[in-house]
Amino acid sequence: MAEVTVRKVEKRYGNVPVIHGVDVDIADGEFVVLVGPSGCGKSTLLRMIAGLEAISGGTVSIGGRVVNEIPPKDRDIAMVFQSYALYPHKTVAENMGFSLKIKGRPKAEIEAKVKRAADILDLGKLLGRYPRQLSGGQRQRVAMGRAIVRDPQVFLFDEPLSNLDAKLRVAMRVEIKELHQRLGTTIVYVTHDQIEAMTMADKIVVMKDGRVEQVGKPLDLYDNPGNVFVAGFIGSPAMNFIKGKIDTRDGQQIFVSNSGSVLPLAGARAQPGQPVIYGIRPEHIDIGPGGLPARVSVLEPTGSETQVFAKLGEDSIDAIVKDRLTVRPGEDLMLRIDPRHAHIFDAKTSARV
Amino acid sequence: MPNERPWLTVLLWVVLSIATLFPIYWLFVISVKPAVELFSTPSLFLDTIYWKNYVKVIGDDTLRRYMMNSIIISSGNAVLVTVLAFMACYALSRYDLAGKENIFFWTITNRMAPAAVFLLPFFLLFTQVFAIGDWKLYDTRIGMILLYCTFNLPFAIWTLRPTIDGIPKELDEAATVDGATTWQVITEVIFPLARPGLAVTLILTWVFAWNEFLLAATLTSFNARTITTGLSEYVTTTGTEWGTMASISIITLIPALIIFSVVQRHIVAGLTFGAVKE
Ligand SMILES: Nc1ncnc2c1ncn2[C@@H]1O[C@H](COP(=O)(O)OP(=O)(O)OP(=O)(O)O)[C@@H](O)[C@H]1O
Ligand SMILES: [Mg+2]
Repeated sequence: MAEVTVRKVEKRYGNVPVIHGVDVDIADGEFVVLVGPSGCGKSTLLRMIAGLEAISGGTVSIGGRVVNEIPPKDRDIAMVFQSYALYPHKTVAENMGFSLKIKGRPKAEIEAKVKRAADILDLGKLLGRYPRQLSGGQRQRVAMGRAIVRDPQVFLFDEPLSNLDAKLRVAMRVEIKELHQRLGTTIVYVTHDQIEAMTMADKIVVMKDGRVEQVGKPLDLYDNPGNVFVAGFIGSPAMNFIKGKIDTRDGQQIFVSNSGSVLPLAGARAQPGQPVIYGIRPEHIDIGPGGLPARVSVLEPTGSETQVFAKLGEDSIDAIVKDRLTVRPGEDLMLRIDPRHAHIFDAKTSARV
Repeated sequence: MPNERPWLTVLLWVVLSIATLFPIYWLFVISVKPAVELFSTPSLFLDTIYWKNYVKVIGDDTLRRYMMNSIIISSGNAVLVTVLAFMACYALSRYDLAGKENIFFWTITNRMAPAAVFLLPFFLLFTQVFAIGDWKLYDTRIGMILLYCTFNLPFAIWTLRPTIDGIPKELDEAATVDGATTWQVITEVIFPLARPGLAVTLILTWVFAWNEFLLAATLTSFNARTITTGLSEYVTTTGTEWGTMASISIITLIPALIIFSVVQRHIVAGLTFGAVKE
């Protein structure tokens, strides 16, 4: 087990910079998720930690040792690839035992370790099979088994679940989390799925365009997103954003949208007149008397809750409510916004104010 | 699609097989008849078998040497070429070599000129340049093995490249992370998966060297003379020894058949199935 430190790491392909000085601290035994939209450089960063990609600037340390110049085989890491990358000509057992065989460990030890990993992942019956004879979920587990057998300092996962169907993905999410609790090994996990990030991580690193936007515990990011990007990325359905400015009415600060709707604020948040973006999550909007009138455009009932897409003046806004609604599209309803959950971002810098 | 007229397919294959195998049968018939009979009563049927031709051929020291030369030169060349091409393709496929597509194309150009164009330069090289004292590359087995690399290596690189390119790079990466050295990646992952391509390359380059006549005839005289070239010595100004030639030809087919049957087992499709999910 070890901590991983990424300091001012840069990556350039030729002259094209794709990672611009990233800092990440990963504590020993921590489960850190790198999350961000496609192309933001998550895989590149992970591959630099693994040693599969040269580091153009800055340092990566594993267990206090700078590993920039150390080849992957000597970094004592295990990686699970998005495509699984199982050796197709080796059986499940051979795939899992490969790293030990390479090290020249005795047969009995390899067998014992493979068996232990197979038990953890429930692969015992499949040990004699070839990858082509396995389902997607089983291949995924073999790929994890191959990593576990290594007993490495750090696990690196690159979108290991993205090839699985929705149901299996949820099941594997739980399995990986259990695995982490059981082994306690440091994990760096890449995904573009914010739900995976929220549910699995001890700490989330949100990336965009080769930069770190914010680092924090899942719920901290949810409660206090540092900018519009993080606010919109974390949480599902995404936060509502309404452009407008701050005004004062009856000694109270309020928000006035560009189309003239007035939304409540709790306490003074910014200078009056300042152009801002008002953010409110759908789950913090309620329906009931005393709210703001909005016109319903679409309703999406899922059984447990209903998502309401509505228009507040010119602005689109959606809300999630527990009740089953009887209104129809085109009718009005009253949206009650809880001002304590409103987020205010500077319209220019898009940073939280 | 179910085959509605299976007999038609069977008939087609029977006809094709007869057309292909008939000359070989004919050759065999000639090889087991005394010369007199060949011309007095030409017949395609075998009533008696006359083994003298074979006895003569097998008992002939010179022919045995030619046969041995052929086997050593073809096999040596095929193995050398396949190993070199394998490593070349791995480098071309996995490394960012400056101008690697140009290197690749340049290799292929070696195959663009007819072999005869190389005749004179090679003759001079083999007799004048690669000569130390009395020793010359001319008429040596090693000379022939190296010579055939000129033609077989580009061909082999070309045949093998798609195979190596087709092995997902993630497998190299997975093996590297698993602790493998580059050499272990090659032997443990790439080689087993490239086996079908290697087998094809081995057979085709072997056959080229086995059948090659022009260069062997010019660059060997006795010591390294191959059976293909030796065969032509039976066409003389006083006549052609048909029976002997036919029996040598039949014997020449045997090593080829052995190579094919041994190597062919490795030509299987779909080895990389299940490696990565695209
Ligand atoms: N070999 C390369 N040459 C040039 N640019 C590259 C190369 N590999 C990746 N990039 C660029 O680097 C950026 C980051 O790529 P990366 O694969 O790390 O993204 P990602 O965050 O993992 O995306 P995804 O979620 O789609 O996997 C992208 O803009 C990509 O175009
Ligand atoms: Mg990626």
